[in-house]
Amino acid sequence: MKSRGGIYPYLLTLPSLLLIFAVTLYPSLYSIYMSLTRSKHGVTEFVGLDNFRRILNTTDFYQSLQATLIFTAFYVLFTITIAYAIALMLNRGLRLTGFYMTIIFLPWVLSEITTGVVWRWMFYPKEGIIQNLIAPLINNIALITRPWGAMIIVIAATVWRSISFAMLLLLAGLQTIPTEITEAAQIDGASGFGVFRYITWPLMLPTVVVTAVFILIQGINGVGMILSITEGGPGRATEVLGIMMYRQAVQYYNFGYAAAIAVLLLIINAILAAFYLRALRQESALAA
Amino acid sequence: MSRRKLVESVLINAFLLLFCLIILFPVVYSFLVSFHEPKTAFLSILPQRWTLENYARLFRYGQFPRYILNSIINGVGGAVVTTIAATLTAYALARFDFKGKGAIEAFILGMMMLPGLTNLIPILKIASDLGLLNTYTLMILVFGAYGVPLSIWIMKGFFESIPRVLEEAAAIDGATPVQTFLRVVLPITTPGLIATLLINFVYNWNNFLTPLILINKTSMKMATVGLFDFQHVLEGNQDELLAAACVVIMVPALVLFLRLRDYFLQGMIEGAVKG
Repeated sequence: MKSRGGIYPYLLTLPSLLLIFAVTLYPSLYSIYMSLTRSKHGVTEFVGLDNFRRILNTTDFYQSLQATLIFTAFYVLFTITIAYAIALMLNRGLRLTGFYMTIIFLPWVLSEITTGVVWRWMFYPKEGIIQNLIAPLINNIALITRPWGAMIIVIAATVWRSISFAMLLLLAGLQTIPTEITEAAQIDGASGFGVFRYITWPLMLPTVVVTAVFILIQGINGVGMILSITEGGPGRATEVLGIMMYRQAVQYYNFGYAAAIAVLLLIINAILAAFYLRALRQESALAA
Repeated sequence: MSRRKLVESVLINAFLLLFCLIILFPVVYSFLVSFHEPKTAFLSILPQRWTLENYARLFRYGQFPRYILNSIINGVGGAVVTTIAATLTAYALARFDFKGKGAIEAFILGMMMLPGLTNLIPILKIASDLGLLNTYTLMILVFGAYGVPLSIWIMKGFFESIPRVLEEAAAIDGATPVQTFLRVVLPITTPGLIATLLINFVYNWNNFLTPLILINKTSMKMATVGLFDFQHVLEGNQDELLAAACVVIMVPALVLFLRLRDYFLQGMIEGAVKG
């Protein structure tokens, strides 16, 4: 029987709640207010929905939205596919599993900027080691100088960094499938593919959905690697919404405008988060 | 083991080893570039003459040592704030059944889903209104708050693994709840505390976007942002120096991860599944 603890539990939770309020909740609400204002020469005026009207009337926004959609779609697809394949292999209880896990997780524990610098090197137009490796296959085009090429590079780099996380979640899901089920199917004569198609896959689908949405949320908000590899270029080819927001605030000092982009991102995030929590609940309901 | 299984196992291990090589390559590559002599970064993969000169030059280059110092101050400061706040909260959630507990847990979970990215613009504005821009205080508070939700779930797990009998015995011996917490509970959870502290330090040390947006004064920049600046200046002519800076920023994270791998993985699962 747990005690109620009188006033203690409230005192103990207070510091955390204050921190979260000051750095998370209050700024989120404040961004909504900011998005309705414009600052000029130190004077802040209320402009209603003007910032949103301006954003939605520029092609810049739709370009960034398109870049974000292309980036996240391929990023999620490749991350999940590769991570799932690796998770299936590691789920066999190989002797070297610990070693493989350590290596696969290295990119994730390193800062986005350090790994971004390296990825940029590998695709330098003249000296890039990967660029030179693939140059004969792509008509000697310098990949990073082309809009689609730069997009491929930032997707590859982000996938490289995120596989571990997706793999860990999928592996945790695979390990909840009782081996009796798959073994029984094998004894009944099911092929390896049959076991995967009719047993593992349906049982894993909720976990795959949860992982995909989680990865998607990270992709929409993780702009550090893109910033260090292409800075949104060439042109605006890889300028996803997060980078557009950064540029408007830090390079052009359009805080109201940037805050409006932040609010739009916040809405996208809230929708995804709601979807995520629902998927998560369904997943745990199935597991139980 | 049947012949077929053996072949399968060899193939899978071969594939995974190849996959690990691909994953590892960019990391190894940055180390290799950093050992090249000036202007030879991309002439060969392995340095023709290995040198540590880039590291020596790095610590005289620009304000790099200052950036490292800033990263340590902000990283450690943030981790300490996080660990203290999260430990207290986790203890309350693990040990007491108080009114509003469910609501507090739901609030923390919900806030965990708010992205850090979109908050940076308002934080920048609020901080500048409060005169906190370009201060350690701001970064330590922001980092301190970032780590709280995840650290609460990690520490809660530790507290729940401690048998309650110990605290009950201390209470019977006349110890106050504060004494019990400090003398009985904390010593047992020390490994958990240290792990939480170090994981948060790594997150803060690696953080790039937060200091990029919140700090614009050169002497207050963190190493990650300094690296971003270096990238613009050094690229194409002093890549070896840039590589040395990369490696210096990578090494602390690598070392701590290799020592604390299981805590990191546990933390990642908790963060995703609780959030």
